Amino acid sequence: MKRLNKTVAAVLAVSMAAALTACGGSDTANGATGTAATSASNAASGSETQAVTTTAQSDETVAEGKTLINVWTEDRHDQDYVQQMIDQYNQENTDNIQIKLTVITEDYKNMISLAYNGGTAPDVVGANGLPLNQFADTGILIPLNDYIDADQTYQTVNEPYTHAYEGRNYQNGQLYFVFSGMRSGVRVEYNEDLLEKSGYTEIPDNLTDYVAMAQKITDDGAGSYYGIGFTSSSPFERLLEMSAEISGVYYYDYINGKFDFSGYKPFVEKGQELVAAAYPDQQGVDNMRALFTEQSFALWSNASQEAGVFTSQLPITDFDWGVAAIPSLDGEIKGALETSPTKAYGIISTSQNQDAAWKVIAYFQSEDFLKGYLENGYCLPITDYMTSKIDSSKTGRLADFSKLDYEDVYPAVPSVNLQGDDYRTVLWNAVMGYVDVDEAIEDLNTRYNDALDSDVASGSVKRLVIKDYDPLHPSAGTAEYLSE
Amino acid sequence: MDVKTNKVRPRRHNQEMLPTSLMLLPSTLLLIVCSIYPFVWIFRYVCYNYNGFTATYTGTKNLERLVKDKQFWQSVGTTFEYAGLKLLFIIPLALLLAVMLHMRMKGHNLQRGILFMPTVIATSISGMIFAFIFATQNGILNAILQNLHLIKTPVKWLTSTDYVMAAVTILAVWGGLGNYMLYFITGLDGVSEDCYESAKIDGANGFKTFFFVTLPMLAPVLKTVLMLAITSAFKDYEAIMVLSKGGPGNRSMVMFLYIYNTIFGTANSSTQPQIGYGALLSVAAALIVGCVTVIYLFVSRKLDHITE
Repeated sequence: MKRLNKTVAAVLAVSMAAALTACGGSDTANGATGTAATSASNAASGSETQAVTTTAQSDETVAEGKTLINVWTEDRHDQDYVQQMIDQYNQENTDNIQIKLTVITEDYKNMISLAYNGGTAPDVVGANGLPLNQFADTGILIPLNDYIDADQTYQTVNEPYTHAYEGRNYQNGQLYFVFSGMRSGVRVEYNEDLLEKSGYTEIPDNLTDYVAMAQKITDDGAGSYYGIGFTSSSPFERLLEMSAEISGVYYYDYINGKFDFSGYKPFVEKGQELVAAAYPDQQGVDNMRALFTEQSFALWSNASQEAGVFTSQLPITDFDWGVAAIPSLDGEIKGALETSPTKAYGIISTSQNQDAAWKVIAYFQSEDFLKGYLENGYCLPITDYMTSKIDSSKTGRLADFSKLDYEDVYPAVPSVNLQGDDYRTVLWNAVMGYVDVDEAIEDLNTRYNDALDSDVASGSVKRLVIKDYDPLHPSAGTAEYLSE
Repeated sequence: MDVKTNKVRPRRHNQEMLPTSLMLLPSTLLLIVCSIYPFVWIFRYVCYNYNGFTATYTGTKNLERLVKDKQFWQSVGTTFEYAGLKLLFIIPLALLLAVMLHMRMKGHNLQRGILFMPTVIATSISGMIFAFIFATQNGILNAILQNLHLIKTPVKWLTSTDYVMAAVTILAVWGGLGNYMLYFITGLDGVSEDCYESAKIDGANGFKTFFFVTLPMLAPVLKTVLMLAITSAFKDYEAIMVLSKGGPGNRSMVMFLYIYNTIFGTANSSTQPQIGYGALLSVAAALIVGCVTVIYLFVSRKLDHITE
């Protein structure tokens, strides 16, 4: 009996250790339910939920006489290509520069801030989503205008002043980083086979027909598959908000310099109809992607990252899938679809080697570097120059997400100290019927504008006004920052 | 003679104090660095709008916001509801299991190990596991309930405001049961066999023995376990964050999850991280948990003397 007890104890101890080991791993694989679970687990390597910090070439020593440029980035998906190009540069460059790349995907902004305050900041940082109010106003990043103006080749390849976006990378005439790529606006990804079963061959251009299509597919599926799927991770942003944008509805009134959510009511109401036809669960993005690949629903919507997801991370082989523009409210395009510019680098003001740091940035954004990068399909080109230089047949399904003529970058809205839930949460709660839509809109208008007024009064933000604002070309206006 | 004794005592006292102080030093330092200093640190920012980069002095505005913050006070209400539900099930169940396992039935060590296992699994992992269990479509729990003909249509455990509190309570009870069970078993081990023999001689049945011998003798342990359960229930948020994210419609938004979201979670292009206001909320939450603990200690003070 004692031996049996010892055996049982040993088995339990091993089980516990195994459980703990599983918990301690860096992978946080999110499986989906049912048959999709395996696919979702496999997908974890590129999931949105992962977060790791890795130092490439951590044991690398700096060769004598060389200048070490430390580069931090939060992009992990392109690490293989970037590291390969860095290795090549470290061997071949004649400026005696050695680049060391560190990938930080957890708490990136705070890590930079902590390093800056502690005197251990890198020379160059990936600046894809660094807010200017936190990194430029505080002096962490330096303006790059002088370097850019002196480098004609760089200007030809990157068109920096064409892609200077108010409050994103450009402020008060200063450019703090330059984008060399972009993520497309949201598209509809659809299962062609399931659409055909219900008699559809293309995605409608208006929400009313889109809802009818989703409902028809759900009815035809009779519980085995559904018309549409929504994720639990920012679901409002992934279809309805973007549909509102192209219908001319935006949450910030640039002309009057205040928040205005009153235009969202019809989109919330259409959303309520869509939810009635949707897959019953709203899980994480990776889980829902896995369910889409398992044909649990026919319509999914997300931006150009889905090209890589559905070709390599969760490859779709059992059915044909298409990509289409999202529907507007009535089929007319009255506003721009928001795109996310990406792949930018900035120089930290404490860098002792700012000239060398610029050379590294110029290399990262050189034609040779970008051609391979873009042809590998890591992102879409943002400049006309690079668009003309790459062979788009090499980018695979990313070509389906090419820039639409009504896509643009919106000026950064004042970032306020909001009390309570943000608008995406509240409007989705209205879609789900947890709150009344009219009350939700009134509540958002009150809370956001109170926060804006209060923050402007305290001096923590300025009111953005663009008197010549054009919803179809939001980046084209002239910005004014008011202190009242 | 007296003089001699007086001379010896301080030296012995000092000799005993030194190793005690040395042993206490590491934990005291850790307590100061990891608990007391951060708590004092947050007071720096309660009157500021602080986003981690820039701090703007706002006077008493954060305090005014706290008073008017409906969502925070709703989350306080939800926290009380969650804590009440958790305690209502976890303490009686843990006690029942402890008593059963204390009877030394066949395989009790194995059962104890199995029941304790959920405690060693990280809360975030258990939150993910239960997301599969509670899934409406293809969820394990709905499949079981449907096979047993207890429900006709799948229950929306995580997307319905009617059921989400039941779901988070089940997860909380599953995750904490083994821990409290172990405390009770330890308490039961300390109850003298003489008491049970006396009860047997007096003709007490199992029911009477439990209520008039076991339970009173467990009172001091019960008091401690209850206090630990109350404080941990009020501070729970990790599993809820993974399982329901405080939704749907903030139905499962507990106090500390709201604070977490205020400081880290919901900042996007139009909103800022609010470390200053979050710091003030943390102070308010600490006061609420402190008040609950003090009230409990006052109410439960009789449990210390129940066996006297």
